[in-house]
Amino acid sequence: MKEIAKLVVVLALICGISGFVLAYVKDLTAEPIEYAKIKNVKEPAVRSVLSGYDNDPIKDRISFPVGNDKYGRPVSLVVFPAKKAGKTFAVAFESSGVGYKGPIGVMVGVDVDSNKLTGISVISHSETPGLGARILEPGFTEPFRGQDLSKDLTKDNIQALSGATLSTNGVVAAVNNARTMLAQHRDKMVN
Amino acid sequence: MSLMKEFTKGFWELLPPFRLVLGLCPTLAVTTSAENGLGMGLATAFVLACSNMLISALRKIIPSKVRIAAFIVVVATFVVVVELTMQAYFYALYVKLGIFIPLIVVNCIPLGRAEAFASSNGVLASGADGLGIGLGFAISLFSLGTIREIFGAGTFWGVHVMWSGYEPMAFLLKAPGAFVCLGLMLAAINLISARQAKRKLEAARLAAAQA
Repeated sequence: MKEIAKLVVVLALICGISGFVLAYVKDLTAEPIEYAKIKNVKEPAVRSVLSGYDNDPIKDRISFPVGNDKYGRPVSLVVFPAKKAGKTFAVAFESSGVGYKGPIGVMVGVDVDSNKLTGISVISHSETPGLGARILEPGFTEPFRGQDLSKDLTKDNIQALSGATLSTNGVVAAVNNARTMLAQHRDKMVN
Repeated sequence: MSLMKEFTKGFWELLPPFRLVLGLCPTLAVTTSAENGLGMGLATAFVLACSNMLISALRKIIPSKVRIAAFIVVVATFVVVVELTMQAYFYALYVKLGIFIPLIVVNCIPLGRAEAFASSNGVLASGADGLGIGLGFAISLFSLGTIREIFGAGTFWGVHVMWSGYEPMAFLLKAPGAFVCLGLMLAAINLISARQAKRKLEAARLAAAQA
């Protein structure tokens, strides 16, 4: 009996200490890990839609809650500001619209003074290769640059893809969603 | 045995994975490039040195009936520490090594050294043993990765080193190529040690004849 008690106590102690150590390390690395993830996954997209900044948009990112998803969990929007001499002149954030096969995630860059698009970059999609997947091509995304976001964008403003109307609409919807987001949360994005 | 001997035996006498023939799974899987091999080797070396020292320090407390469970918990703790640190500061390497970092837990080398050495030796000796074996493992993986990368992709550390018309042997980057490479290296190491043993034997015979 005494021996069993010793086995239990020793093993429990070792496991307990291990748990504490891991919780501490997890806590310590949580922030660098989040930064590394965003830096490696999102940075190429942010870099392609913003230019002329002298800060680190990834490091200066702002995040704030924007309502709940369909399971009632809070959703937060992450905004990457482009600053020059400490002043935010453009922001980039992720927006999405429904394409042919599912949601299309688009990184949208907007100049906050002129309300014009500084560029878009498709981050995630599940469109048909060769048809809808052409939304990734510069020939499609380039005409978005410089579009005015004071009013809703329509596909007449850009080079719509023939044979991929729904994919085109999905990207345009994502950009228009971004326009609404910007109008709603402008004060939180620019400060 | 002196500390130095415990440390250096990992570089030749017990050189993993060739001598111990343990830890073959990550060896075959991650050595597609020199960088991956070195990263994996150093991660294992860190885990091995730390777990060996801690297990040696706890060896009088851990009852022998639950020792394997206790060893695994200790090894797993250090592996998770390595995994989190790598994810935070070496994200690209972490993505490439992927599942093989958590799999260090079930890699037989740390458990084997804990059972065979740390559970019956002092803290310093165990640390030297773990570090030596770990660095030996890192060197092996680095060499294997270097060979496979140079001949399989024509690059070293991502930089082109072969002449421009060189057709890379893509076979070497696949799993069968890993087996072939490992086999050839093992054969070379066996050849060298067979020669060494023969020379030693002859020297002994000569000394005996002179006496």
